[in-house]
Amino acid sequence: MNSIASRFASTSASAAISRDEEENQVAASMWGSTGGFGNLGQVGIPSFEIPRVPDPTNFLRMHTDDRNDPSCRIKIQHGTTTLAFRFQGGIIVAVDSRATAGSYIASGTVKKVIEINKYLLGTMAGGAADCQYWETYLGIQCRLHELRNRERISVAAASKYLSNLVYGYKGMGLSMGTMIAGWDKTGPALFYVDSDGQRLKGDLFSVGSGSTFAYGVLDAGYRWDLSEEEAQELGRRAIYAAGHRDAFSGNTVNLYHVKEDGWKFIGNYDVTTLHYEGPGNVPGAVPGGYGYDVRTEGLHSRGAATVA
Amino acid sequence: MSPSAQAPIRHDFNPYTENGGTILAIAGADFAVIAGDTRQSEGYNIQTRYAPKVFRLTDKAVLAVNGFAADGNMFVKKVKQRLEWYRHAHAKDMPLHAIARLIQTMLYAKRFFPYYVYNILGGIEEDGTGAVYSFDPVGSYEREACRAAGAAQSLVQPFLDNQIYFKNQQAAPGSPHPAHLPLNQVLALVTDSFTSATERHIEVGDGLEIYIVLAKGRNSNELESLKGVAEVTTASEAIATGERLFVLRRELKKD
Amino acid sequence: MFATRSEYDRGVNTFSPEGRLFQVEYAIEAIKLGSTAVGIRTPAGVVLGVEKRVQSPLLEASSIEKIMEIDSHLACAMSGLTADARTMIDHARVTAQNHAFTYNENIKVESVTQAVCDLALRFGESMDNEEAMMSRPFGVAFLIAGTDELGPQLYHTDPSGTFVRYEAKAIGSGSEAAQAELQDKYHKQMTLAEAQSLTLKVLKQVMEEKLDQHNVQLAQVTPETGFEILSEDKLKEVIEAM
Repeated sequence: MNSIASRFASTSASAAISRDEEENQVAASMWGSTGGFGNLGQVGIPSFEIPRVPDPTNFLRMHTDDRNDPSCRIKIQHGTTTLAFRFQGGIIVAVDSRATAGSYIASGTVKKVIEINKYLLGTMAGGAADCQYWETYLGIQCRLHELRNRERISVAAASKYLSNLVYGYKGMGLSMGTMIAGWDKTGPALFYVDSDGQRLKGDLFSVGSGSTFAYGVLDAGYRWDLSEEEAQELGRRAIYAAGHRDAFSGNTVNLYHVKEDGWKFIGNYDVTTLHYEGPGNVPGAVPGGYGYDVRTEGLHSRGAATVA
Repeated sequence: MSPSAQAPIRHDFNPYTENGGTILAIAGADFAVIAGDTRQSEGYNIQTRYAPKVFRLTDKAVLAVNGFAADGNMFVKKVKQRLEWYRHAHAKDMPLHAIARLIQTMLYAKRFFPYYVYNILGGIEEDGTGAVYSFDPVGSYEREACRAAGAAQSLVQPFLDNQIYFKNQQAAPGSPHPAHLPLNQVLALVTDSFTSATERHIEVGDGLEIYIVLAKGRNSNELESLKGVAEVTTASEAIATGERLFVLRRELKKD
Repeated sequence: MFATRSEYDRGVNTFSPEGRLFQVEYAIEAIKLGSTAVGIRTPAGVVLGVEKRVQSPLLEASSIEKIMEIDSHLACAMSGLTADARTMIDHARVTAQNHAFTYNENIKVESVTQAVCDLALRFGESMDNEEAMMSRPFGVAFLIAGTDELGPQLYHTDPSGTFVRYEAKAIGSGSEAAQAELQDKYHKQMTLAEAQSLTLKVLKQVMEEKLDQHNVQLAQVTPETGFEILSEDKLKEVIEAM
C-alpha cells in the first residue's frame, strides 16, 4: 500500500529528479507578477533547453544545417549582403532584404537592420533569429546601462557586450555576423561582431554571401571626405551590385544613415528598379539605371560587325 | 567473425517527422484571414482527414502552425498557457504585437532543440489594422501582408505575391493597385489557393478551415450571408464592442 | 505592551500572538523618519516632489537623488532608507525591461508596482538554492508614478508589500500634515502646472528649511514626453510663480 502511495506521490525523491527540468521551467519563470518572462527568468538572463543526447551540437547541425545536408528538415533562414562604413558625415548602413531557406526565397522583405535604440543599429547576417533575438536583448541591456549609469552606452561597450554574450554559446551552433553602428561621445563608431567571438573596430565592413561584390564597389568608391549624398549613393550601389551578382542576395536595399542625433532611415529601393531606372530623384544619384546596359547601348558585341 | 558484426550500430536521435499540410494568412485593412487545410499525413499515409492547424488564441489573434504536428500542438498549448498567465498578471488580453514577440522568445528558448514548426500569426493590431506575422522555427519574425507556409508553400506563395502584392503586374493607367483587397476577394483567393494546392500536392486536401478576424465595429454582413460560417467570438460583450472572430469551413478533395 | 513586543519583535518570521509582524511594522516606522515626498495625479500626467535635506552647506545638493526613473514612462519618489531603494528600483527597472523584451510593449504601472511589492516581501531565511536575499524588511516607501493605456496613475507602496492607488499622496516625516493639505486642496481636474505648484506648497509647509530650487526636486511623467526631472531653472520659475 505504502509503496503504491509513494509511487504516485509527487514529493518522493525519485519523482523530483525525473521531473526536475520541466518543473523548474514552470515554477521559476512563468507565473506571478514579475514572471511571465519565460526562459528569461526573473533576473533577465535567458536559459535554453538542450536535447538530452551525448552531442547536442551535432543533433542541431543534423536537423538544421542546410549547407551540410540540403534535405535537413528545419530550414533556418540564411543568405545576405550587409555593409556599413564610417566617413566624415557619420556612418552609412545598407543591407539587402532577401532571406533564403535552401534555394527557396523565403522572403524578399526582411528587415536586416535592427534598430537597437535611437543611437544604435545592428545588421543581420547569418541566422535571422540569432541576430533578431540577441540584438533585441542587447537593446534592453543598453537601456539598463543608461538607467543605471545616467549615460548612454558607448558603441564599444555595446558591441563587446554582444560579443561576450555570443561567445558564451561558441561552438553550439549560433550563426551571426553583425555590425554594430552608432554615435557616442567619441563620435561615429563601427564594430564587427560574429558568433565565433571575433570583434573588430573599423571604418568599413561588408558581411554575408554577397559581401565580395559589395566590397568591390565600396573599395573603389570609398573616401573619408565623401559628402553625405555621395556616401548614401555608394552604399546603395554596393548593395545593388551584390543583389545583382549574388543569388542569395537581392530584392530590395534598405539604407540608413547614423548621425550625431541618432540614426535616420533614408529609404527602401527595389534592386530591379535600381538596375533599369536607378534610385530616382535622390540626392547624390546620377540619372539612369545602375545596370551597365546604359553604357553599352549601340556598342553591343553582336552588332559590332555590322557597324563597320 | 565478420567485420560488420563488430561494428557498433549507431542510432541518431531523431524526434522529428513531417506531417504535411499548408497554412496561409492574409491581412486586410480592417480584417485578417488565417487558413489551413486539415489533412495530416506521414510519408504517403494519411493519418487523419481532420487535424486542425489553425487555432483561436484570443478574439483578435489566431495562430496557424505547420510542420511536425506533435511539436505544433504542444507549442499552441504553451502559447495559450502563457496568454492565460499574462491575463492574470496584467488584467488584459495580450495585444497582437505582444503575442508575436512572445512567440519569438518561446521559439528561441528552444534554439538548441527547436520546435519543428512554422508559425503564422494573424489578427487585429491595437490600432485596428489587420496584421500577419510569420516566423521561422527558431523565432525570427516579420510583419507582412500575406504569407503561406508548409508543404505547398512554394505553390501558394507565388500566387499570393501576384494577387496580393501585384508582383509582375502592370496597373492600368489611372487606376493604381489597391493597398488592401476587400474581404470577399481575399476569401476567394484563399479558397482558390487551397483547391489548387490540393490538385497539385499530395499532402494537401480533405478540409479547409478559414478563420476571419474583424476589427472593432466592422460590418459583418458579407460574412453572415455565406454558408458554412460560424461565429466563434468568446466574449459576449465583444460581439457588440470588440473584435469578432468567425470560422468558415469548406471541403477539399479527399484523394 | 512593551513586554509582548520584545518577545516577538526579534525575528522577521514570527507573528506575535495578536497576529502582528513587528519587524515589518518597525520598517514602516522608519519611513516616518524619512524626508517628505509628495505625488499628485492629474489627467495630464503625474507630478512627484521631494524635499532634499541639505544638512550642510558643504553638501552637494544635486547629488541627492530621491526621484528615479524606472523607464521612460515610469518614475518613483522614495522616503526612508534610500539605500534599500536602490535594490528595489533596480528590480523594477529589470522587470520593466524584461517585459519590454518579452512583449514588445511598455509594462503597466500596476504591474511594475506589483513587482516592487513582490520583492518587498522577499525577506527572511533564504533557501539554499536561492541567491542571497534580504534578511530584514526593506525600510523604504515609494510613490510610483507612470502612464499606460489606463492613463496617468500614482501608486503608494510600503515595506509590508501593500500597494494602493492614490490621486494624491504624501509620505515621510511630514506626511500627516502634507496629506491633510492635499486632501484640502486637491481636485480631480487639476492642470499639471497647478499640481506642480500644489506639490511645492505642500512641501514648503512641512519643511524646516526655507524652500528653494536646491532643496527640493520636482519631476513629472506625462503621456506625451514621459519622465522628466525639472531643471533648477525651471524649478525656480515654478517657485517664483507659486
